[in-house]
Amino acid sequence: MGFILKILIALMLGFSALSASAEGVNVQIKDPWVLAAPPNVKVLAAYLEIINNGGKPRILINVSSPAFDQVGIHRSVMHENMAHMEHLKELTIPPHASAVLKPGGLHFMLMNAKKPLQIGDQVPMTLTFRDGEKIAITAIVRSGKMEDMEDHQHMDHSGHKNH
Amino acid sequence: MKNQSGALAKRSLALLLAIAVAVTAILGWRLGNNTVVKPPEEIEDYLFWQAKDLTEFKLTAANNKTLALNDLKGKWSFIFFGYTHCPDVCPVTLGVLGQAFKLLEKNPASYQEIQGIFISVDPKRDTPERLKEYASFFNKKFTGVTGDTAQLDAFARQMGALYTIHSKDPQNPGDNYLVSHNSTIFLVDPQGRLYGRFPPPQAPQEIAEVFIKIRTFYNERIKKQWVLF
Repeated sequence: MGFILKILIALMLGFSALSASAEGVNVQIKDPWVLAAPPNVKVLAAYLEIINNGGKPRILINVSSPAFDQVGIHRSVMHENMAHMEHLKELTIPPHASAVLKPGGLHFMLMNAKKPLQIGDQVPMTLTFRDGEKIAITAIVRSGKMEDMEDHQHMDHSGHKNH
Repeated sequence: MKNQSGALAKRSLALLLAIAVAVTAILGWRLGNNTVVKPPEEIEDYLFWQAKDLTEFKLTAANNKTLALNDLKGKWSFIFFGYTHCPDVCPVTLGVLGQAFKLLEKNPASYQEIQGIFISVDPKRDTPERLKEYASFFNKKFTGVTGDTAQLDAFARQMGALYTIHSKDPQNPGDNYLVSHNSTIFLVDPQGRLYGRFPPPQAPQEIAEVFIKIRTFYNERIKKQWVLF
């Protein structure tokens, strides 16, 4: 019994070590989540924080998920109370900076859900950077909270580049 | 003698007239002061300078029902324009409004008078049935409606809510075109008048607290009007 437990712990440690290395040496992903939506909704949004601990800029060029046909990097822009959406070809995270994707601002637009998602569901996603590095993450479907909201007064655009 | 008394009568008449005019002016000014009720500062920014009467309109709800001006009367309506293929701003705003309604449950007098109306400006993809399911997800007091382009344009114009349907992005195949829309939450009073607005970014606490104050102000004003006439 103790032996099996030890093996299990060893396996778990091994997996977590693997997933840590999957995060890359310099890029760290924090709190990936998907905003819960009505069951008949085909288009959803994912949010997270991408932290670049390295000395070189990192450029996110593609996002994919087996749960959706397509994923885009988008930004909601509010101009005179009009909400617009911008499609970003890539997202640059400068050295020692982070890109924060949150409601009302930057987000991954998840298009054409293959099946309805519910609160608590896990959405696997792969982030591909220009240098070829791929990072696998799992986002949790949950409802929005106040602290998630984009603060329009103090929006920080450093680290976001629109091409 | 006759002439003299005539002049006196004329003078007293003029005096009387002057007094009457002065009294009327003072009375009118005082009454006027009572009728022009200035809203409290904390709700002033949320109210339109003058409530605007909405004219008849027609939109389509689920189960072959329509939404018309009469459906707004007797209730406070929170109206939001958007579309269901909107992944960020629409669900976030409807989520915030849904939470505000939840907070208002603690104030039964207010709660029983409110309704939420989500108007899709994207009728090509959003059917009334789809909108009903979508809107009620955020709060049971929400309904979803849409209409043809002419109906939507007419109503959006009345509300001062612009929207634009963009052409498809050639790099984005499929059905994924974008729509720009006003993300203000509009407030229509129980007389069917555009009364107030909550501009983005909104917060549940803010909407609930401000609405309670707006409703109190509105009810006091109605009472004062009854006293006068």
